[in-house]
Amino acid sequence: MTDEALSDTPARRRIHFGVVSGQVGLVLIIAGFWTVFSLRAPGFLSSFNLFTVGRALAIDIVIGFAQMVVLATGGMNLSVGAIGVCAVMMAGYLMQTLGLPVPLAIAGALALGGALGWLNGFVITRTGVNSFIITLASANLFSGAMLIVTKAVPLNALPPEVGAFGKARIAGFVSPLLLIAVAICAVLFILYRYSALGRRILAAGANARAAAMSGVPVGRVVTISHALSGVLAAIAGMMVVAHLGAAMPSVGGDDWLLPSFLGPVLGGTLLSGGAVAVVGTMLGALLVTTIRSGLLVLQIGNFWLQLYLGVILLLAVLVDRYRALYAERHGIAR
Amino acid sequence: MRTRLRRLLLVEWSGLAAAIVIGAGALAAIAPNFLTEFNLYVMLRSLSVPLLVAFAQMITLGVGQMNIAVGAIGGLVAIVFGGMMEVYGVPLGLAVPLALAIGALGGLLNGLLIVRTGINAFIITLATASAFTGINFGITGSIPFYKMPPALSAFGDQHWSAMPYLLVAPLIVAALLGLFFSRMAPGRQLLAFGGNPHAAELSGISRGRVVISAHVLSGLLAAVAAVLAVAQLGSAQPTIGADWLLLSFAAPIIGGAALTGGYISVLGTMFAVFLIGLIQNGMVLAKVDPYWVQFVLGALILAAVGLNRWRAVNSGMAQI
Repeated sequence: MTDEALSDTPARRRIHFGVVSGQVGLVLIIAGFWTVFSLRAPGFLSSFNLFTVGRALAIDIVIGFAQMVVLATGGMNLSVGAIGVCAVMMAGYLMQTLGLPVPLAIAGALALGGALGWLNGFVITRTGVNSFIITLASANLFSGAMLIVTKAVPLNALPPEVGAFGKARIAGFVSPLLLIAVAICAVLFILYRYSALGRRILAAGANARAAAMSGVPVGRVVTISHALSGVLAAIAGMMVVAHLGAAMPSVGGDDWLLPSFLGPVLGGTLLSGGAVAVVGTMLGALLVTTIRSGLLVLQIGNFWLQLYLGVILLLAVLVDRYRALYAERHGIAR
Repeated sequence: MRTRLRRLLLVEWSGLAAAIVIGAGALAAIAPNFLTEFNLYVMLRSLSVPLLVAFAQMITLGVGQMNIAVGAIGGLVAIVFGGMMEVYGVPLGLAVPLALAIGALGGLLNGLLIVRTGINAFIITLATASAFTGINFGITGSIPFYKMPPALSAFGDQHWSAMPYLLVAPLIVAALLGLFFSRMAPGRQLLAFGGNPHAAELSGISRGRVVISAHVLSGLLAAVAAVLAVAQLGSAQPTIGADWLLLSFAAPIIGGAALTGGYISVLGTMFAVFLIGLIQNGMVLAKVDPYWVQFVLGALILAAVGLNRWRAVNSGMAQI
């Protein structure tokens, strides 16, 4: 909410609230939580806690992006977690078993992620079957194949610099992983705001028929989005490897499903496609990570966390819905 | 000959029935213990809960929606059911209807939220799934309730020859659902709405009533599945329902349901669950790595989707 809105009469203030952008509201909610948490638990603002929050946040942001790029096309990707864990084990295999240098291993893992995502996109565009069902099936194919190949054995003799990177701190409390997430945010922002490809993806997501008639290669654009989603899921997987210092077959999977939707949806990405909120996805992930960490620091039963996350997601979509309705009723474009 | 084969393949559950017959025949030939009474009993008993889970999702698929909260409702119902009996000493005869009511209430909440807000059912049920699971873990702290009434566990174990008592519930539900969707007006209205919401509304079908009743039924069946799961395990585990999601979609879709709504097959869904159970049983008998189960289930969904697609193209009603 702007300062001007605060000084207004109640009636006008309501109008302002109705049209104020979702992201400003999100920032206010996040600021509120940070205030409450830091007042109630002084340890919340300690440099160690800020560091761990930032590191967890980086992973959540990239998981959210992996879902967001597919939501942009009006589809969804339920295999984000499965691709993530496949990339994790691939990286572990390349580093530990084959002894490849770390950058090469990471490149290999990202390539695998991209290939698996591309496969999703290829099957979806070729068969015309709903992305929900294809990625539900492929999630199980990918995870199943990973378990068959690795026999669910974790790889924990990775080069020490991997774990060291995960523990590294810049200026005492910033994780380099967070900087990577912010850099990805910038790249995606430019992609969707300024590049022809990004505009085409959004056009295909908003109205595939109209886009196809205006010459957008819809199938290719959807396939590219899924490949991008796979690469992003693999990047999130690499961050988890750095965090744990090991390649564990138990990461990712279904555990990523809720976070992958929380970030984009809280941030204002439409499920129907055609619109993305890159910065909003970051803010959505920040809200989730803040609540998770705050409840942990306050030692409020970790067990209730899922209830809070569910209710927050519900409230966020409800507020967004009524904001849109309000704006529509008063003839104010969003 | 070719056309006859083709016509046979156009029936949605024909492929499944053939796969089950061939699979069972092959298993009986390879593994001598497959046809033992005990093995058949164990296999059929393990199918009771999945059948109900699949039906719970099938109903929401029928109206063109989904219920991500099937497993979460199941988990919540299971621990409330167990907790009622262990902590408060509620008799079994009262605990069962209360547990089913909670499941229906969870479904009602889903339906009301979806209808009142007009938000995508996927997002609403994803959110409520998280909330239900949170309540489940919050109440139990992940600790199961172990002291179940002996009558319940006994019900979970008893059987006539190879036929477990547990399987009776899903078979009755299947018969009722078959009747409901083929002969009764509310059932026909659900499918009509799923097939074309706009046309259904124009013919006087209430959107709110259809969507809410589908979700209430879905929640109710998830609750029945949860009660059976408690009976089968002999304890109320907070993790009940955690692994239901994939199966809940896999079985109806392998059974021929359209994800776009309006078309479901009770018989097809049952056959799909039997096929999945047969595959799992075969893998246990053949001592295959259990990790293959997930892989095969994924492949099966893809194959079924491909077959459905082929069938749609061949019967001249390709879906978009």
